[in-house]
This record gives sequence, structure tokens and C-alpha cells, in this order.
Amino acid sequence: MPLITPLIGSQLVDLGSALLLLTCFGIVAQRRLSACVDLFAVQSVFLALTATLVAFLTGIHHIYIAAALTVIIKAIVIPRILKRVIERLNVTRELVMNVNVPSGLLICGGLVMLAFFITQPIIPLGFLLTRDSLAIALAIMLIGFFTMIARKKAVTQVIGFLVMENGLFLGASAAAYGMPLIVELGVFFDVLVGAIIIGIYTHRLHDAFDSVDTSKLTILKE
Amino acid sequence: MVNDLTFTLVWGLFGWYGAGVVLPLGCRADSRRQNLLAHGCAAFGGMVGIVLGVVGLLASEPWAARSPSTIPLLTFAIRLDPLAAFFVLTISLAGLAASIYAIGYVRHFDGRASIPLLGSLFNGFLCSMTLVILADNGFFFLIVWELMSLLSYFLVVTEHEQAEVRYAGLFYLIMTHVGTAFIIVAFLIFFQGVGSFSFDTFRHPEQPLPEGMKTIAFLTALIGFGTKAGIVPLHVWLPYAHPAAPSHVSALMSGVMIKTAIYGLVRVYFDFLGGQFPWWWGFVVLLVGAVSALLGVMYALMEHDLKSLLAYHSVENIGIILLGIGAGMIFQSFGLKEFAALGLLAGLYHTINHAMFKALLFLGAGSLLYATHTRNMEEYGGLLRRMPWTGLFFLIGAASISALPPTNGFVSEWLVFQSLFLSFQIPDLLMKLMLPIAGAMLALTGVLALACFAKAFGIAFLALPRSSHARHAEEVPMPMRLGMGLLASVCLLLGLLPMVVVPLLDRVVGPFAQISIADQVVALDGWALAPVDVQFASISPPILAAMLIVGALLGLCLAVAFGGHLVKRYGKTWGCGINLSPRTEYTATGFVQPIKQVFSTIYRPTVKLETEFLEESRYFAKRRRFEFHIEPVFQKYLYDPVVMFFSTTADRLRVIQAGSLHLYLAYIFVTLIVLLLFAV
Repeated sequence: MPLITPLIGSQLVDLGSALLLLTCFGIVAQRRLSACVDLFAVQSVFLALTATLVAFLTGIHHIYIAAALTVIIKAIVIPRILKRVIERLNVTRELVMNVNVPSGLLICGGLVMLAFFITQPIIPLGFLLTRDSLAIALAIMLIGFFTMIARKKAVTQVIGFLVMENGLFLGASAAAYGMPLIVELGVFFDVLVGAIIIGIYTHRLHDAFDSVDTSKLTILKE
Repeated sequence: MVNDLTFTLVWGLFGWYGAGVVLPLGCRADSRRQNLLAHGCAAFGGMVGIVLGVVGLLASEPWAARSPSTIPLLTFAIRLDPLAAFFVLTISLAGLAASIYAIGYVRHFDGRASIPLLGSLFNGFLCSMTLVILADNGFFFLIVWELMSLLSYFLVVTEHEQAEVRYAGLFYLIMTHVGTAFIIVAFLIFFQGVGSFSFDTFRHPEQPLPEGMKTIAFLTALIGFGTKAGIVPLHVWLPYAHPAAPSHVSALMSGVMIKTAIYGLVRVYFDFLGGQFPWWWGFVVLLVGAVSALLGVMYALMEHDLKSLLAYHSVENIGIILLGIGAGMIFQSFGLKEFAALGLLAGLYHTINHAMFKALLFLGAGSLLYATHTRNMEEYGGLLRRMPWTGLFFLIGAASISALPPTNGFVSEWLVFQSLFLSFQIPDLLMKLMLPIAGAMLALTGVLALACFAKAFGIAFLALPRSSHARHAEEVPMPMRLGMGLLASVCLLLGLLPMVVVPLLDRVVGPFAQISIADQVVALDGWALAPVDVQFASISPPILAAMLIVGALLGLCLAVAFGGHLVKRYGKTWGCGINLSPRTEYTATGFVQPIKQVFSTIYRPTVKLETEFLEESRYFAKRRRFEFHIEPVFQKYLYDPVVMFFSTTADRLRVIQAGSLHLYLAYIFVTLIVLLLFAV
């Protein structure tokens, strides 16, 4: 009798995914930027754990590598870059938002329901033990996207973008036990470069407008 | 054996151009070395291209190579048949001369533009043009076509700090993309018929295209390639873009790039459609050619910017080429194979001739610009004394474009005339009448071109300098003279040795007309040319040239023998007591005044004369101001409404472009959710 039966395994994967979703809500509810970054780091750790679990259950080794990279890049390197940006620019809080926190949370709840509603017809067709996570992955992506719309500071928008990426990663693990390693590596590289570029862009934004509020960009219009 | 040679040459060609693209940007050196490196590579590429062209023309079978790609429908296929070889030869000849010239010319961009970038783009431009000719796959063709357009755009905006250059570049970019859109439609029509982009399948479709589709392909190809070639009324970008580009690039754009469109037309009409078309197609091409030729030269006459003038002459010469090709198409439809071959041959002969003399003239204009820093002819004058070599080469180019013997322009225009006059053989009354009328329009074009170059040469090189720029002009450096000299000698050779050129062109035309007419055209043991039938007409360029020389010598001898004693007297020219100064010279505007009056219905000139009198008496003018404009008919009635429509529509659509990042994200988000809900 193996240590973990497929049923328990699938339950554990679902648990990991649920924890990811929970951190998403945390990010939406949190006004302090550094806490948002921390939450993102925690989310990435959960993601790595879930991926390790999938790798252990399926015996597909390259997912271990992807999980390790997740920890290194998304839980350590990128949060550092972001924190440095926050420190240097001295923006700690998101004061004005396009959507306030309570209604934001309500909308996110709606998005989760939408995600489950959309994936409902697909999930029974799957036979992987991770198939239930697909709905959660979609929900995480939608919430990440919503964060990008709702928040004004460039740093939170980066976090929204990265959350979307986490959702995508989870979705890939859930629907197909991860993408081929080369694709994963490419994605990691993209995310890292993306984070660096956005970090620089935030600096420039700060230099040009004395603020990292992206809604100031409308001035660029003729 | 020949295949191996071709293979080596093709690789050599792309190797040199590739090196020319990469090396100037890649290696650190002073701009003088980078200049040498870039244009040296281009010159070597041009030399290899000339050899490749000759080998391809002489080869008994087309040479082809292909390499698959991971992109569906795209194959990197190239093919060198006589038609392609002929155009490769043309491009490489002009490219070689322009590269040598550029070594000297680009120096004066030092500090104003990045020389390595300019050199690199120049190489890329030459390479892409060659690839357009060699491409044997529709998809690949479109890619390199677009590459050619973009690279030439970047070259046009070399001096982008000037607003007018940016405007010219934008104008060109829009026009060329409109043209490309039409070419894409034409290729898609072929594609949907055969399900492949390979030119081979275009050529031999399993079932022929329906007539309606063929007609659409004909029209879209004419508009698409015509935009690049500069047919009226799609010619408006030429007088903007060609003057804006650096002169060695204008020489290539005007001399060669617009010829890729002629290549495209011949390829589509005679190769893909197999020369099977109704007579009215040829008539449309003929009409477009006649109108382009006449209007092109008429607008050229009114230009005083030397490079704009040359650009309008490109419109004219594209018209002459299309007259030849159109006549060939009409003959083809009526099954008169020999005449069809003759018309096509005349058009292609004029293609290489125009490439040579137009490149030469643009290089000459570049030399004037280099020496005087202005393109305005009214500021030239008396340059023949200061720049004798440039003057000589410009004169040869001017004689060629005016179709004077013994230059190349004369031979090819004569052939076009002859093919137009052969129309009495056509069993259709309308065509019997229309072709000679086109011939008459061509005659008028020729006369006006002569007037135009009498003006251009006379105003620029003769009389007294009209400005201090011209007074202090100096002869251009050696490489520039070398580049012009090369083209000038090619112009003379092409004019003196048509019996060598015609058999080569016959190999190009032969496969399409399915007949060889070299023996009939080159009559009397190679001493004379005849339009198929030696009884109808014939002409011998070498004898003509010899007669010109002998006649001139004879005249000189007679003058010396019977003219009496030559007495030299030096004195000022008598000018009725007025001091003769540059201000009393004939101006370019004054020179064309009679022509302007005669054709005022076409030009619709607006003349404004303001005179300020002295206070004491109204009989003495203090200052006069003369302004004169011709109405840009096409821009006003055809382009402005279209531009207006698009800009107003764009203004209305602008509401959704609020410039807010969040709004844009929300657009995407809502779209995503709506699509997901649709999917469920």
C-alpha cells in the first residue's frame, strides 16, 4: 500500500490550490505594498509545494525542476526586486484604488464562481488526478487580471501580472501535468525579464511623473 | 557544372551583402573605414551579381534551390530563370555603381547620420531587392517584398531631423503598404486556386482559374505593383520619397526598386497567367503607360528641384516600359507571337536602360547636391566649368533619357515605337487606331523630355553661376566620378551594341512568347535592328554613331578649311548697356513658360504677381514678387478626400483610446470573460 493513495493525493493537490486562491484574496484585500509582495512570495511557495506534490504523485521528474525554479525566482528573486523598488521609491501604501477593497473582494468572489461555472463542463472529461485544480487556476488568473485593473500603483500591477502567471502555471500542471521543460524554462526567463523591465519602467515612471500611479499615463495622450 | 557555379555565385552574393549588413555595425572603427567596409561589400556583391545575372541568362535551364521552413506554407525557394537573371543583372549593375559612388558620397553625411547604419541598410536593401527577384514562393516573395519596402523606408528617412523628410517617408510607407495589400490579394487568388504558395503551382495549376478570378488578379496586380512602379495616379509618392533619400539610395530606388514592380507584372501576366488573357488587359496596361508617360514628363517640366524632376521622369519612363509591355500583351491576345515578343523585349530593354540612365542622373544630381548643398536648380549655373566630369556624365544621362542617338534610350524607345506602329497587323479596328495614338503620345513625351533636359542641363551647367553655392562648387571626389563613369559607359555600350543585348533579352522573352525573334530583330549580320520585318523599318545604332562622329568631324574640317582665318577677340558681351549678371539669365521657370501656357488646362497654374512701387512715381517698381504654382490635381481630388475620410474616422474612434492603462486592461478582461462565457 503506497503512502498516498490517488484519492488522498488529489485531495492534497486541491488543498494546495485552495491555499493559492486564498493568498490571492489576501493580495486583493491588502493595501500595504510590502505585504502584497510577501503574500505573492507565500503564494509562490504554495505553488511550488503543489507542483512538487504533482511531481511526486505522477513521477514526472522535470516538474521538480520547475518547482525549484519557482521557489528561487518567484519566491526569492522577484520579491526582492520588488521590495527594493518599493523601498527606493518610498511608496508603501495603495491609497486610492479604482475599485475599493470590499467591492473588490465581492467581484473576486464572483470571478471564482465564474471560473467554476466555465470549467464545469470540461472537468469531468479529464482523467488526471489534478483536474479539479483547473477551475482554481482559472480563478487565480482572473483575479490576477482584476488586480491589474483595480490597482493604480505600478508595483501592484506587477504583482497582478505575476499572480496571473502563477495561475497559468497551476493550470498547466493541473490540465497536463506541466508543460515541457523547455517551455517552462522559457516562461521563467520571460517572467524574470518582465519583472526587471517593469521594475525599471516603474523607476522611469517615478522620475517622469513623481509618482508610480499608472493612471497618470493618460497625460501622454495628445 | 553550371549549377555548381550558380550555387557558388548565389552564396557569394548573399555572403557579400550579408557581410555588408553585419560588419559595419559589428566592428568598431572610425566612420571612414566603416564606410569603405559597407560599400566595399556592396560593390563586391554587385560584381558577383553581375556574373550571376550573365550566367543565369546564358544557362540552358532555370536553376532552383529550396529549403523548407517550420512556418506552414512558407518555403525559402529561389529560382533563377532568364527573366530573374536579367533583373538580377540590372540590379547588380546599378548596385555596383551606386556602391562605388557611395564611398565618396556618404562622407558628407558624417556627423549628420550614422554611417555604419546607412551602409548596413544599403546592403540589406540591395540584398532584399535581389531576393524579391529570386523568390520562387509567394509567401517568401511577400516577406522579402515587405523587407525591401521597409529598408527603403528607413533609407528615405536618413535625414529624419527634417520635417519634410519625415513626411515623405510616411507618405511612402503608406503608399507602399497599400500596394502590398493589393499584391497580397492577387497572390491569395492564385493561392486559393491551387492551395500552395509555390510559384511552380501558380504556373501550372491543376485547373485553370475562372475568368472572373483572373480578371481580379490582373487588376489587383496592376494596382499593387503599379503603386511601387509609380503609374499615374499612384505615382504621388515618388516626387516626395526619391528626393528625400540620400542620392545613391534615390538612384537605386528610382532606377531599380521600381523595376521590381515591372518584374512582378511580367511574372504574373506572362508567367503565372501563361500569356492567356483578353485583349483589353493589354489595352489597360497600354493606356496606363501612355498616361503615365505623358503626365510624368509634363509634371517633370514644372519641377525645379532637380531630384523631384528626376522622380517625375521615372513615372514617365515606367509609362514607356508599360507601353512596350502593353503592346506586347495586346499582340499576345491576338496570337501575333513575333510582335508580342518584340513589344515585351522593347519594354524590358527600356527597363535596363532606364535603370542605368536614371541611376546615372540621380548620382549626377547627388554630385550637384554634394558640391552646392542645394537641390534647387535656380541656384545652379555655370557648373560645367567647375565640375567637367560630372557635367559630361550628366550630359550622357540626359541624352539617354531624351532618347538621342547613340545612347541606349534611343534604341529602346525606337523599339517601343516600332512595336506600336506594327498595330496595323491587328485584326481589330479599335486597336489598330489606339496603338498609333499611344505612339503619338510617346512622341510628344519624347519631345517634352528633351525640352526638360535641355532645361535641366542648360540651367545647371551652362551660363553664369546663379548663387554663391554654385560659384564655389568643386568637382566631386574620385569614387563618385567612378560610379557615374561606370553607368555612363554602360549607357553608351547598351546603345551601341544592341545586337549583343537583343539576343540575351530574347532568351528572357522567348519562354513567354514561345518564339525566338533574335534572328529577325538583329538584321544585316548584326549591323542593324529591325522590328521583326527588316522591310518595315531598320536602324543601325553603330553606323548612326559613326555617322554622327564623322559628320561632326567633317563639319569641323570644312569649317577649318573654308571658314577662313580664326580671329579671337575677348570682350564683354554687349547687353544694351546693362551689366550682365546672373540675374539677367534665363531662369528654369522662364524656360518652361511657353510649355506652361500651351498646357495650361492640365497644369491649372496659379500665378501671383505683386508689385510694390516707389512712392514718388508709379512708373518705377521698387520690388516685384512673382509666385507660380501648378495645381497638384491628383493630390487634391484623389488623395485628400481619402486622407480626410480616414482622419475623421480615426478622430471618432479615438474616444475608446483614452490612454488609460486600466481601461485597456479592462477591455481585454471583459473580452476574455465574454468569450469564455460564449465558449461554455
